Amino acid sequence: MTKLPLGLCAATLVFGWLLASPSARAGDTSAGSDVFKTECSECHSVKQGRNKKGPSLFGIVGRPAGTLPDFSYSDALRQAHWLWTAEKLHSYLSQPAKQANPGTKMKYDGLNDPKQLEDLISYLGTVH
Amino acid sequence: MLSFLNRRVRRRPGKMLLWCGIAALLLASTTAQAIPAFARQTGAACADCHAGAYGAGANGPNLTPYGMRFKLNGYTDTDGQGFKIPVSGQLTETHTAPARGPSSTDLTEADLYLAGRISDQVGGYAKIEADHVGHDTYNTKLSNVDLRFVAKELKLNGKDFTLGVSVNNNPGFDDPIAVLPAATSLGPPGGQGPTGTLLNLSSANAPADRLIGASVYGLYDSDWYGEIGTYRSLPTSEQDHLGYNIAGDPGRLSDTGYFRFAYMKDLKRQFFSAGLVGLTTRRQLPRTGPTDNLTDLGYDLSYQFLGNRENIVQVSYVNILEKRKYGSTPVSPIVPGLTALSRGALHDETLSVTYTFKQTYGVQLAHLESNGTRDAVRFAPLGNPDTTANLLSIFWAPFGKDDSFTSLANMKIAATWFRFTRFNGATNNIFGVPLGNPTTKPGDLNAFSVSASVAF
Repeated sequence: MTKLPLGLCAATLVFGWLLASPSARAGDTSAGSDVFKTECSECHSVKQGRNKKGPSLFGIVGRPAGTLPDFSYSDALRQAHWLWTAEKLHSYLSQPAKQANPGTKMKYDGLNDPKQLEDLISYLGTVH
Repeated sequence: MLSFLNRRVRRRPGKMLLWCGIAALLLASTTAQAIPAFARQTGAACADCHAGAYGAGANGPNLTPYGMRFKLNGYTDTDGQGFKIPVSGQLTETHTAPARGPSSTDLTEADLYLAGRISDQVGGYAKIEADHVGHDTYNTKLSNVDLRFVAKELKLNGKDFTLGVSVNNNPGFDDPIAVLPAATSLGPPGGQGPTGTLLNLSSANAPADRLIGASVYGLYDSDWYGEIGTYRSLPTSEQDHLGYNIAGDPGRLSDTGYFRFAYMKDLKRQFFSAGLVGLTTRRQLPRTGPTDNLTDLGYDLSYQFLGNRENIVQVSYVNILEKRKYGSTPVSPIVPGLTALSRGALHDETLSVTYTFKQTYGVQLAHLESNGTRDAVRFAPLGNPDTTANLLSIFWAPFGKDDSFTSLANMKIAATWFRFTRFNGATNNIFGVPLGNPTTKPGDLNAFSVSASVAF
């Protein structure tokens, strides 16, 4: 059996991981805007400084969770100490919010359509 | 408002046209709208709760599923940024052009809303309404009231459960789906006699806003809604104090029970519901008279296509049957030996379709129909209470959305056409005047109006 060079194996693994990574699978931001309007916009605004029942999602990707100064977060989210990376958003939004962050105020059943989730996260990445 | 029409009919048939036109336009213009105080409280846009950013085309709050949840939660949701003053106002200027009679342009309505949360569990809505009644005169009255206590985020059999109490003055106004006549201000207007069902606020002597009651409601697993309640009519002296002409007294209502059950499904891009509603009472009208037993039983269906909110279609159908067992059988003052029937039935149907583009431009089309048991004594002059009418409205609501420059104010311009094709069961000579006299067709009751409303 022919052995593959170690470097090629490593490159294949890294490339495969990148392909599988949510951040690498760029979604359709236009479709994501529609997903946002359907799934999120009643409780969240993308305008800077505009909070609804939920905090503004302006600049959400890369923001430490629970840190907007003028929004009253749940203790659960303030103490989560996580960063809203694309990967974290993917994990958080793909399941019920109460499961992803027990004690959160957020009422959301999760988005189980992978394409819509990718599109949504891509769109949120443009909101800054 | 239609009871006012009926009173005028009995007194001065010659003025019928004028009052019909006014009544039709009041029907079209007086409805629940988006309340800016709610927007300030929640940080949300009016368009989050209403398909049209001002609340409605001609009639009905046209609630989105999110708006229904806000109502179910007792108007208590908040952005968490401190106390907001729960007060709003609305002014409406209307140009009215009836098919017969002079046109007019007036400030037709000025409203004060006390609406919002008191605490996480207590909130409410109350509307104080001043209506133009002619000659620069306004009549101020207490319109719809809905005060709530709600316990949220309960669990029942492991499912989400919301339990609440509503104290209100209009059976069905508090309904979350908001397609019943009390919530939409949309019901077939009747002719002479005690036409129309109890649940139809366009009926003669309708109980709406002239009673007080309480109901207990629950929402199970986000989909199943149930409500039971009871009401009593206000004494005529209290109706007078609250701004209502006692000629429209619904009578003494006793043993009054109300129920509502509905299945509602929010699919985010679509919504549908199917519901049952019932109202039963013993009515003495006049209050010293015999007691009639009245029972309303209805069903309603609704569907919404919401999509990404660019193109919204809302369809609702309400069908209410009222069974009546009269406490007396009066004799005809005109035909010797003719007596009224001891039982009867009335049947009100309303179909409404609304399309909204970008939550800014909209058109609403409604078909209203009322049919009842023929009774030559009770339903003068033709013995037939049947009415068929249509409403067509177009509107423009430029503000009230997320990207609007302000959430402190809102505006709507609407054009509404209300037409009758049958009245008093007739399609010609609807008041049964003798041969040789000028007759009236249903179309003579039509009216067109253009209104501009601002809310703040």
